[in-house]
Amino acid sequence: MKKAMTLALGILTSVGGFFDVGNIATCTQAGARFRFQLIWALLLATLVVIVLVEMSGRFAAVTKKALPDAIREHFGFGFWLVPFIILTLIHILVLGAEIGGICFALHLVTGLPLQVWALPVAILLWVFLWRATFSTIENSTSLLGLITLCFVVATIWLHPPTHDLLQGAVPSMPSKNPENYWFIAVSIIGAVIAPYLFYFYSSGAVEDEWDPSYIPVNRAVAVIGMGFGSIVSLGAIIVAGVVLAPRGIHVDDYHQAALMLTQAFPYWGYVLFAVSMGVACLGAATEVALSMSYTFAQTFGWNWGENLNPAEDARFSLVYTISLLLGSLFMLAGVDPLKLTLLTMAISAAVLPVVAIPMLLLMNDRKLLRDAANGIFSNLATAAIVLLTLVLAVVSIPLAVVGGS
Amino acid sequence: MHEEVDIIRDFLDKQIVDREETKMGRADGIVLAIDGNGPPRIDHFELGFAVLARRLHPRIEEWLSALRKRWSPRKNARQIVAWSKVMDVTDHHIQLDLKAMETPAFDWERWLRDHIVTKIPGSGEE
Repeated sequence: MKKAMTLALGILTSVGGFFDVGNIATCTQAGARFRFQLIWALLLATLVVIVLVEMSGRFAAVTKKALPDAIREHFGFGFWLVPFIILTLIHILVLGAEIGGICFALHLVTGLPLQVWALPVAILLWVFLWRATFSTIENSTSLLGLITLCFVVATIWLHPPTHDLLQGAVPSMPSKNPENYWFIAVSIIGAVIAPYLFYFYSSGAVEDEWDPSYIPVNRAVAVIGMGFGSIVSLGAIIVAGVVLAPRGIHVDDYHQAALMLTQAFPYWGYVLFAVSMGVACLGAATEVALSMSYTFAQTFGWNWGENLNPAEDARFSLVYTISLLLGSLFMLAGVDPLKLTLLTMAISAAVLPVVAIPMLLLMNDRKLLRDAANGIFSNLATAAIVLLTLVLAVVSIPLAVVGGS
Repeated sequence: MHEEVDIIRDFLDKQIVDREETKMGRADGIVLAIDGNGPPRIDHFELGFAVLARRLHPRIEEWLSALRKRWSPRKNARQIVAWSKVMDVTDHHIQLDLKAMETPAFDWERWLRDHIVTKIPGSGEE
């Protein structure tokens, strides 16, 4: 019974938690500029994220350790320090972008400038983390997150041409602006394979006290949850492709993205977009802030857990508090949220080897995982993923320079 | 019973927990003692940022200790835990016969809790 609940909740969380500011930015730009031609990038990224999420959950179920914990223990402090610093910076950038998304949603509804919302949003997030337990956070953000299914509903109402969609599932060369095409492709991959996802997911599995009997549940959550989750992103590409592309709206600004639902929902479209964006970013921001705390606490061996009161893990609570404060500075300083998001996604794509390589090594440690270690199939998949991440590491920053905007 | 253990792989950087399984740090350093002609034996663990800093570079340790003298609520740069305090070693952690809250490992935790966290409503310590 408990497992059935875990499964249902896990799937719900993935559907609600998959979609965040990075997906909104990259998928709407992809659809607006290249119609359905970049669907393949989303499908590829979804496959990769399914494989990696399944591994991080399996690892936690068998060893009862989350990834940062295990990486420090098995590779040593010196090995972990550099990825740790890089991932900390990425977490702050992503948090800045997610807070930007919430501020923008509030700006759409109220008309007040983003700067005004930066601190209230950070405080709201902080109160939520300070008071709530892990399952409250997981359940409330995932239930709210289902509002993003409006992108899927809109897709169905708009009757996109099936033949063109299928064509987009196969990689092809763009007829114009190839630098921008590849930049968006890389950004979509960076947005979907968010590094914080694996640290958060494996720490959550430890918080929920998974054991090896959860391996099948974990597999189902990874495949069905991430699979369904990516359908929302797919919806965003398609809706942008049908609504924005023919009008020549390129989405240089989130305001333009906000128009995309108005064709399917004439009256409510604008509000629906704002609510979807706000809710999606709210859920992601709590996950990123918690992931930051998990990573710090596990790196230094502190007591950790979102189910403890802040008085029992003061340092854990301090880390998300400072992270939220730092994350709110971007909007306070007037940084453009869309530019911040796209830049963050490109950097995020560049550092993926740092996430993928230690994971591949750990998943092959038979002393740790015994018969739950990776088999040939998983290893071929991870080898391919590592290769892909290495290519991304080399191309993403140069592409951001030549193809960004 | 004879069992061989790789101290770098299996002990260094491992999670350390107290009597009640409260996580209290990691085995940041392991110190051997050499007495006369006998083989070296593990004498104690070291915990603390200073130990980590020294593993990276002596200069970083100096900077850190200068900072600590000025700002830190922690009295000692490192906590030394004698091997005799080890109760149990599992795949998951090293358990010590100590209470974390009473050790220097929790200097920061205690300071933050007493000076900041419990002053904020909802910390669970009203």
